[in-house]
Amino acid sequence: MTRQVAQKLGQALLVLLAAFTVAFVLLQALPGDAVLIKFLGSEMGLTAEQIAELRIAYGADAPVWEQYLHTLGNFLRGDFGYSIRSGVPVAQLLAENLPSTLWLALLALTAACLLALVLALLSQLEGFGWVRGLARSMPSLFVAVPVFWLGIMLIQVFSFQLGLVSVIAPEPWEELVLPVATLAVPISAPMAQVLIRNIDAVFGEPFVAVARAKGARHQWVLWRHVFRNALPATLTMAGVLFGELLGGAVVTETVFGLGGLGGMTQQAVANQDVAVLQAIVVLSAFAFVAISLLIDLLMPLLDPRLALRPAGAS
Amino acid sequence: MSATRRSLLAAPALIGLARQAAAQGAPVRGGTLIYLEQQTYTNLYPPAGGFYPNSGVLNQITDKLTYQNPRTLEIEPWIAESWTVNATATEYVFRLRPGVTFSDGTPVDAAAVAKNYETYGLGNRELRQPVSEVITNYDRSEVIDPLTVRFLFKAPSPGFLQGTSVIGGGLVSLRTLALPFDQLGDATKIIGSGPFVVARQVLGRELVLNARQDYNWGPAKHPHQGRALLDTIRIIVTGEDSVRIGGLLAGQAHVIRQVQAYDEERVRSRGFQIFAPSTRGVNNSIAFRPDNPMVADIRVRRALLHATNAAEVVATLFSANYPQATSVIASTAQGYVNLADRLTFDPGLSARLLDEAGWTMGANGVRAKDGQELALTAYESPPQPRNKDTLQLVAQQWARVGVKLNVLAGDLGSRTVDSLDPARTPVAPAMVGRADPDVIRSNYYPTTRNVLLQRGGVSQRVQSFVDPELNALLEAIAAETDPAKRLALTGEVQRYIIDKAYVIPLFEEPQVFAAAPRVRGFGFEAVGRPSFYGTWIAAR
Repeated sequence: MTRQVAQKLGQALLVLLAAFTVAFVLLQALPGDAVLIKFLGSEMGLTAEQIAELRIAYGADAPVWEQYLHTLGNFLRGDFGYSIRSGVPVAQLLAENLPSTLWLALLALTAACLLALVLALLSQLEGFGWVRGLARSMPSLFVAVPVFWLGIMLIQVFSFQLGLVSVIAPEPWEELVLPVATLAVPISAPMAQVLIRNIDAVFGEPFVAVARAKGARHQWVLWRHVFRNALPATLTMAGVLFGELLGGAVVTETVFGLGGLGGMTQQAVANQDVAVLQAIVVLSAFAFVAISLLIDLLMPLLDPRLALRPAGAS
Repeated sequence: MSATRRSLLAAPALIGLARQAAAQGAPVRGGTLIYLEQQTYTNLYPPAGGFYPNSGVLNQITDKLTYQNPRTLEIEPWIAESWTVNATATEYVFRLRPGVTFSDGTPVDAAAVAKNYETYGLGNRELRQPVSEVITNYDRSEVIDPLTVRFLFKAPSPGFLQGTSVIGGGLVSLRTLALPFDQLGDATKIIGSGPFVVARQVLGRELVLNARQDYNWGPAKHPHQGRALLDTIRIIVTGEDSVRIGGLLAGQAHVIRQVQAYDEERVRSRGFQIFAPSTRGVNNSIAFRPDNPMVADIRVRRALLHATNAAEVVATLFSANYPQATSVIASTAQGYVNLADRLTFDPGLSARLLDEAGWTMGANGVRAKDGQELALTAYESPPQPRNKDTLQLVAQQWARVGVKLNVLAGDLGSRTVDSLDPARTPVAPAMVGRADPDVIRSNYYPTTRNVLLQRGGVSQRVQSFVDPELNALLEAIAAETDPAKRLALTGEVQRYIIDKAYVIPLFEEPQVFAAAPRVRGFGFEAVGRPSFYGTWIAAR
């Protein structure tokens, strides 16, 4: 058990190093660099010599391998460098933007899980055929709604028309209401779909037939047998979606003017702010790795068949 | 036609002013104003303040040595009570106002002012602080007494006095100047002597400014004196156009920057105010890079100039707040001369010029010479209003005379690199705002913005193009100390640039803001940067 966990941790570290390296190489391959873009930008009007001097001051003229080792060393010491675009340490940018994105992602994921659960339950409702049909067609609709459009619609209706919540300078409690709703809708769609399909599949399994033959009622079978078997795949899905949420909140954050990792990434990409991008890639890789590790460890608790076997038993 | 158009254009602005004057009661002190910005500020080192989101912050928290009256463009006293300039414009002496302090309590005295200008004039290599674009030929400063400072220049620098009034000349505390450039994007570290101070920031999202209670050194002739009327300004970044406008109309914000031309009517029809101050600089234009053989021929450039219908661009994409260009620089800029008769839309002339230059119409509707099609490429410039639409409309206009214009979006890196290469970008959109004749020099001179990409600038890709006659004229502007002669030279440069058809001016670019009906006294510095010093919110 311990050995397998250690093995998984080692793999995770390798993935992180690979992400760092690939990101570094790709960012180097882009035309131009942040120093050039910042100082050549029309806002400053510097001369050729002044720009050349600044490039030297920023170490943008050093050989690539030297820059790589330098940056890697700094990362290991927890120094992510400066954002050339914003003129602040990357660590400060992250510290100010990460919490709001984490909150948004966490709440949106929770809301999406609830929504998916409700849809899945409705899809199994006895007696109301039209409700079942409706619940089953919702995921396709949800996934088809553009987040951008949904966000603007929610703002226009609930904030600007009805005046229920403020989006411009919201109180803390109202700040995340509409963004969470906006984000939860598309995220819930794949989860609901997987959950519904799995429930249907599990209902077809022999052991369900056995349970029914023993006289179990539909609800009892659903809760005691089917749900437990249908959940693991949905959980994996939720894990992957959470990782995507962290970066994928770009649109929501932009529409609602929330600061956050999404907006920060978008700005960094637009301005080729290499130090910021490097940090974001490593952070995202870290989030993905940590979550899949967590799910790997959590899964056996839900499904004993997946329990880690003692070393050598396979 | 031109005269009628101009008076029509002026009408909305006048009505706006009249309405505001009528509603002006006794100013109310206090309150919080919510100002929506389209983009977040970046680095707040004052010489980097040209970026509009930066200047929206810097103009509230820093003071300048002098104040350029936005109406008359005269230079008036501010932190400097008086000044003298020697005959060759190589020596400036400023006498400072006593009792002025930075918000950290340190005095704005000769030593602090000298250090500011040492930094802006020479840069600080160790701290990576770059020099300011508006200060040329700077040599050194001398502290004569605690309130008198002298600046010396290696060569005449007649633009310097106006340069002390611009955003880039904002004075900051010695503590701020001791920080490396990479930390100056943190607004809480920018310590100025202005009417507002930074209270709180959430990077990329919001900046809160509070009025300074003891502020008593506004521009000497400003209608408002004493502390700012507002207590607090909340600058909130709201990137999405529809949310900015919706928020304003729904009463959730007071002032917004960047109103698209197509939204103006909607805002105005609801009784809200539109402000469109001119940026008074080089017009929004399309510039040629004559190093590229396809546009090296003056006949081709002239043909494209006459194939461009700027009136259609303005009528289709913009509003009355975007006057059609009549010269290289705006009609509100210093030294402007009206060259409308040389900027006519004349497709017939255009076709003749292209025929003469040997570009014959091909079967596919694109002209060609020696097997090469007359196809040009330009990158859109996102900071300029509706730039992609503008370029695409111009592309349609050029297509009618058989010239192809490819409009590329591209990432910033490719755009930056390709924009330095005349072979890849034979044409490029350009504009810059500054209320001094120096603006025309800094736009075209090889070692500064170098819009035409001459040899001797940042770009290593330029083969041979250099125009010594143009550069001599530009140098003369930079060196001419007699104001009248300086303006005359500015006129000459405009004629020269249009005669050579180096640029196609399109329209005079404003900065468009909208404000709630209750907002009063919302002002601008000379090139359209917002000033909340005299702003107040009327009672309902």
